[in-house]
Amino acid sequence: MNLNPHAPTQPYRGITQDPPWIRRSLGGIVILFLTLFLLLPLFFIAAQALSRGFDAYLAALTAPDTRAAIRLTLLTALLVVPLNLAFGICAAWAIVRHQFRGKQLLITLIDLPFAVSPVISGLIFVLLFGAQGALADQLASAEIKIIFAVPGIVLSTLFVTLPFVAKELIPVLQAMDRQEEEAARVLGASPWQSFWKITLPGIRWGVLYGVILCNARAMGEFGAVSVVSGHIRGLTNTMPLHVETLYNEYQGAAAFAVASLLVALALLTLVVKACMERQGHCAIHQTRSGE
Amino acid sequence: MRHRVRFMVAGIVTVWLVLLTGSGSGVPLAAAAEVTLLNVSYDPTRELYQEFNAAFIKHWEAKSGDKVVVRQSHGGSGKQARAVIDGLEADVVTLALAYDIDAIAKKSRLLPTDWRTRLPNKSAPYYSTVVFLVRKGNPKGIHDWNDLVREGVQVITPNPKTSGGARWNYLAAWGYALEKFDRDDTKAREFVTRLFKNAPVLDSGARGATTTFVERRIGDVLLTWENEAHLAIKELGAGEFELVNPSVSILAEPPVALLDGVVDKRNTRKVAAAYLEHLYSPEGQQIAARHFYRPFHPEYVGKEVEQFAKIRLFTIDERFGGWESAQTAHFADGGEFDRMIAASRGAP
Amino acid sequence: MNIQLHDASKEFGSFRALDRLSLQVPSGELTALLGPSGCGKTTLLRVIAGLEFLDRGSLLLDGRDATRTPVQERQIGFVFQHYALFGHLSVFENIAFGLRIKPRSQRLPEPEIRARVLELLAMVQLEHVAQRHPAQLSGGQRQRIAFARALAPRPRLLLLDEPFGALDARVRQDLRQWLRQMHALVPVTTLFVTHDQAEAVDVADRVVVMKQGRVEQSGTMEELLANPVSPFVADFMGGVQLFHGRLENGYVRIGEVRVQAEIPRGNRESAGVGVICIRSHDWRVQRLPGGEESWQTVVRHARPQGAIVRLGLESLQGAGRFDVELTREQYEQDRFQPGETVFAQPSQARVFASGGP
Repeated sequence: MNLNPHAPTQPYRGITQDPPWIRRSLGGIVILFLTLFLLLPLFFIAAQALSRGFDAYLAALTAPDTRAAIRLTLLTALLVVPLNLAFGICAAWAIVRHQFRGKQLLITLIDLPFAVSPVISGLIFVLLFGAQGALADQLASAEIKIIFAVPGIVLSTLFVTLPFVAKELIPVLQAMDRQEEEAARVLGASPWQSFWKITLPGIRWGVLYGVILCNARAMGEFGAVSVVSGHIRGLTNTMPLHVETLYNEYQGAAAFAVASLLVALALLTLVVKACMERQGHCAIHQTRSGE
Repeated sequence: MRHRVRFMVAGIVTVWLVLLTGSGSGVPLAAAAEVTLLNVSYDPTRELYQEFNAAFIKHWEAKSGDKVVVRQSHGGSGKQARAVIDGLEADVVTLALAYDIDAIAKKSRLLPTDWRTRLPNKSAPYYSTVVFLVRKGNPKGIHDWNDLVREGVQVITPNPKTSGGARWNYLAAWGYALEKFDRDDTKAREFVTRLFKNAPVLDSGARGATTTFVERRIGDVLLTWENEAHLAIKELGAGEFELVNPSVSILAEPPVALLDGVVDKRNTRKVAAAYLEHLYSPEGQQIAARHFYRPFHPEYVGKEVEQFAKIRLFTIDERFGGWESAQTAHFADGGEFDRMIAASRGAP
Repeated sequence: MNIQLHDASKEFGSFRALDRLSLQVPSGELTALLGPSGCGKTTLLRVIAGLEFLDRGSLLLDGRDATRTPVQERQIGFVFQHYALFGHLSVFENIAFGLRIKPRSQRLPEPEIRARVLELLAMVQLEHVAQRHPAQLSGGQRQRIAFARALAPRPRLLLLDEPFGALDARVRQDLRQWLRQMHALVPVTTLFVTHDQAEAVDVADRVVVMKQGRVEQSGTMEELLANPVSPFVADFMGGVQLFHGRLENGYVRIGEVRVQAEIPRGNRESAGVGVICIRSHDWRVQRLPGGEESWQTVVRHARPQGAIVRLGLESLQGAGRFDVELTREQYEQDRFQPGETVFAQPSQARVFASGGP
């Protein structure tokens, strides 16, 4: 017998399926909306970026300040994403698997970066670590520079991207069958082995999706980073900040060139996500071992 | 399944590493005898310091044998001052207003309060003024300040609350009105109010206002620094804009200073001092003139001086009793400008 | 592995799941834990496995105190009601999991692991699905894989938590037989939980009936059917009717009817209330009145159910309604119809004095 209860069934044709005219007009509205607010701007960016020719486009992307900005953006993402991944896994585990006082507070705190304007987030760090800030003396005597240097950029990016992995993982972990972990334990796995071999693979699509979102936001963050950056060309400009700098210098084509790189990154993120979702569709049925 | 995921992760990490190492220039690891200076400046000086820094680096290497790297940071003058106070480690500041550097001196004590006396001309190696930029052919026939308050004329200026350049525009207009209406404050207030009523949008910075006028093609006349006006014509459309010199305008002396607290800590005092002094040198003055800043030493500069039209210039001290009192009266919370905005919101 | 529990107690908040429970499960047998929902049977199973820990009391496995031993050290196999197969692993890897997870020093070499997995796949007759994933299998196949997975590391005790509960009736029947066969092949001590008396009776050598966290009775199926210690056990083993009656002078009175019944020693001279237990098939039904111990009843319904016919009778003498099971042949002789007055006489009754179910 080879039943698969989760195999795609025939398209539903019951009374709740919309008639064709509704489907077409809804589809039309969505396509119109996407075209106006997504496709046209993307097309515009590409057109502007190449308006001075392909050589100028390449020159803009390989200029030293641009490369420095790319490097800083990548470095920030490389630092921020693993840290938030670790935090997200720990927070999701604590929230889903444990009872403790203050759990609701923790959940609310995790939501905080979503609620606060990114500019405010940046300002918090200036107030804490700036030369007039609360920790100014300690930092000065330890000769640690946070604001207006790379650590400040990483910290503020870390703050605004904090919730992404955790919020992805909490429902995924909740939905996971705990009996799989119990089965692993009975078969001889230690708690750590059970987590690593059973739990993590069980939530892997949530993890990957959270990482992708976190990465996209980390690379594209503007407001918070702008406040703490100092805008030192070639040193503390991330790609989004550099786009602003170029634009303000009447180097419109170069600004759009760098912007097109950010767009390419975003599109890559979406493509990876789509591929993973398609794989996940098959995999999600495989992670659930019962009905 | 597991293998595919691992492969993808490995692929992504590889791509990142390649990009990371490929994008070469970044923070140079402490090279021997290489000094870095940070020049925190305001918006319009980007092009000026790009050329000047290259020249100074060559000059300094020839003179002392040391390599210098000059890093630039640009933004609104007040915002940059605020950043320096909050810890942005600038070796030198080259801002729009003495007031901003005074604020740094007062709040952070990184330099003495008598800093202006340390360099010639009260630490202003170049000066500038406010002029008008209009569209080709000057279709609205704008020739002087009184044309700006005419019905149907749209004036583009940044917001005085956030932009140093905008405060100069404001004070230039007020100063003109004081002259025209025999020092009658009420009439001057009325004049400036009508001028700002003619402003469809107030950008946060001088460069933003220029972008609004030039690229977004909003407005009939842009009030801007002289150098910005010349630059716009040169870079963005020689045939598209015209420069109009008003009968009278304000004398702007953007000052420069080094921050003792920073240069002593970083051991860059010698280089920083030389950097600022070089602004006064023939080479420095020529570069300034090339970027449409009026040089303090016109005798060092050749025929480029002729591009600067002769405008009667008044100072802040003589019309307003100094920047501090102008700031308090006009731009502080509850000052003239705030009341102007509040009244215009109430009035139809 | 034999199991011993002494005075075992476990609470969840204010709910007492196990209440000073004591039990012995001999080695090598297939034992069923039977009881209604909430009686603590699943908790007991999980305590033995190590997935829960006792609040009080002790658990001994093979004579050694295992009350606090961590679950991964107990060498027990566990099969869950909803299989709990590892969705991201193939069937082969699922079964191999217990073998691969062992520390290097104890792990079998790879060829032996492969051999063992293939051996188990052959045992459950599912060699052809080795590379599939659990989502691609039917419920019955998944449960057999779950068995194979639990048996792979050669546990000395196999625990099954309502293993057939999630399957449909036909598959359940097949798997019950299959389980008996497996146990015959691999006689590891097996303890399984069920609320279905028929299943317990069908599969197990011994049955433990539980109620409210305690063991009511434990023994072979025959013992429990022949000598239930309480109306609850009798009722749970099934196929009985319970009546409330009075004991008088050696006789039992239900309503107006007198019943000849075995009265437990020690109660013969006493008077009081009691519960009388009569098995549904221990009745003779006829149209003619019998003696004093014949009950006058009206037929309410006659429902054929496979090999038997269930007669619903209502006593006209105050004994209430009850069901009587007749074989097909017996029914065919008389063909009682609803509305008829008939006389029923129990051939055997058991009395439990002064106690209700």
